[in-house]
Amino acid sequence: MVAPPDNDVIWARSLQHSHNGSPALGGVSLGIRDGEILAVTGPRGSGKTTLLHCLSGQLVPQQGEVWFNSVPVHTMGPRLRERLRRDKFGWIAPEPQLVPELNTWENTALPLMLRGTGRREAKKAAMEWLERLDIGMCARKRPHTLQQSQRQRISVARALAAAPSVIFADEPTATLHRTDRAHVLRTLTSAARSHGITVVLATHDAEIAALADRVVPLLDGRRVATVALPAEADTEGRAACSLSV
Amino acid sequence: MLALRLARGSHPLVLMRRLLVAAASAGVGFLLLCTLGYASGHPAHSAGSVLRLLWCFVPLAATVQFAVAVARTDPSTRPRAGLSAVGLGPVRLSVLAAVSTAVSCTLGSMVALLFFLHLRGDLSGLPFDGAAAGLLGAGAPLPLAAALVLLTLVPAAAATASAMALRTAPPRATGAPEDADDLLPEEQIPAPAAPPAGLPWGVALTAAGLAVEAYANRGSTGSAFPLPGKLDSTPAWVLVGWTLTAIGLATAGPGLTYLCGRLLQAVRPGAVRLLAGRVLMNEARRIGRPLGVVCAVLSAVIAAFALYGTGPRPFGPLTALGAVLVIGCTTATLLTSALEARQARAETARALLRLGAPASALRAATALRAAALLLLFAPLTWAIAELAALPLTA
Repeated sequence: MVAPPDNDVIWARSLQHSHNGSPALGGVSLGIRDGEILAVTGPRGSGKTTLLHCLSGQLVPQQGEVWFNSVPVHTMGPRLRERLRRDKFGWIAPEPQLVPELNTWENTALPLMLRGTGRREAKKAAMEWLERLDIGMCARKRPHTLQQSQRQRISVARALAAAPSVIFADEPTATLHRTDRAHVLRTLTSAARSHGITVVLATHDAEIAALADRVVPLLDGRRVATVALPAEADTEGRAACSLSV
Repeated sequence: MLALRLARGSHPLVLMRRLLVAAASAGVGFLLLCTLGYASGHPAHSAGSVLRLLWCFVPLAATVQFAVAVARTDPSTRPRAGLSAVGLGPVRLSVLAAVSTAVSCTLGSMVALLFFLHLRGDLSGLPFDGAAAGLLGAGAPLPLAAALVLLTLVPAAAATASAMALRTAPPRATGAPEDADDLLPEEQIPAPAAPPAGLPWGVALTAAGLAVEAYANRGSTGSAFPLPGKLDSTPAWVLVGWTLTAIGLATAGPGLTYLCGRLLQAVRPGAVRLLAGRVLMNEARRIGRPLGVVCAVLSAVIAAFALYGTGPRPFGPLTALGAVLVIGCTTATLLTSALEARQARAETARALLRLGAPASALRAATALRAAALLLLFAPLTWAIAELAALPLTA
């Protein structure tokens, strides 16, 4: 086992994983520096989500190593990994994944409360982030009364409020329209830069990837230099077709 | 056929629940056939036969309730993307649920018929030296049409009830696929259930039931409340009182559960208390009704023991079978409803675990919910039982 370089907050070496036999990752290595915003790009099914699951300790890769701050994650037991996720990592999913029974500020403060932070302190931190993401006025509403973009911003606030050292964002804007998408991403990246939080962003959108400091393209579970795919398959013998909306 | 094919491929625990329904149905079928045997063996005691038949409706209702709960938790009858794509919508799925419930109940009824005929000695001589001959009216011939009608009661009632329950159930969100790379459509968060409104009615009905029962016993002599085997006075008003109490408890159950959850999350809760209380408030309707029924049954059992538990021969074998059926079915219904609530919350639980919520915290929340419900309902059951037994023993 080789110790990882010191300046990397997360360091992974030749990760391999398959879901029930269908290969997802085939030997991906990467290092993530402290405080940077790294985009993992690639089309659907290229292993972005699996890579994020492996890096965040939700999944143990079948082969390969993951180190967080010079501590091996791949050898940890489930309880330790759970603790690591709770204390050091934040997770933003494509869907908000809020708890429907809790209101907005309770949802946002939940990770802090699960760590054992006092209720008042957790509420203060949650309200601060909700204000910064322009949803302070919804603090007492339940998720089902809000719009999808507001829910997704709550999910971003929930990840930020716990002050993690790394935030994993898996297609955080996949279900949003373009204006909401820009807003959510801008708040996430600016908050991450101002607080020195490392962000690992999985996306299939080149426009979003442009916000990142560095881009790691994946294709069919491998790191490639670029994901410029060959042009559309031949349209030979097919009449050009237009769709009027 | 599709019902059978889906059943063949399902999880052993699901099959186990279906088998329990079949067993309950067999028990009820057996009780009904015993009533028929008694009636054909004692044509003079028609009042006693009717009383026995009426008593059979208690285990029958419990079995139907259990069958409906099992049909609701059955994964094969839930709206699914795979089946919806081939044209099996909610309506066809409720028909499917009705068919599979009818199949398991009919299986139980057939077993009951065979067992009954065997015990009567109609198949191959009297077993156990004819010990059960008197009880089952072995001498008299059994009217075939009546037996068949009684045996189809449970399957027909259970199938109809489960089809209706699934027709009226709100469409459930289908589980998200494991692979999150597939972008999902916009998440539909279901609105939380409105607080149940039946608490005042339930309390009023319970109180009225207890009052009716106490009033009916003024100045009566002998045993005021006969079990099926004992026929020394008319129990009509006592029965009405107990029925009212039971309905009242079932109506008050959701309200009480909601109240319990509300108290649990009151006054500066931490994460565990917050999750436990809010979930209980949301699941009040689902959990509360079977819980109220269990509460009513248990208080009836405690009261019956207070009345008859001291006698030399408190109850006969058929009464014992009926009591076991009722207690077993209502408890199993409660557990199945808890399972249904857990299935409905599986997606949220997975999201919480992804956030790094310790599994022990989720378990603690569940334990806290159970403890709070026990703390509220155990004294209530005991109090109702004492109140119900008081006028009968005085």
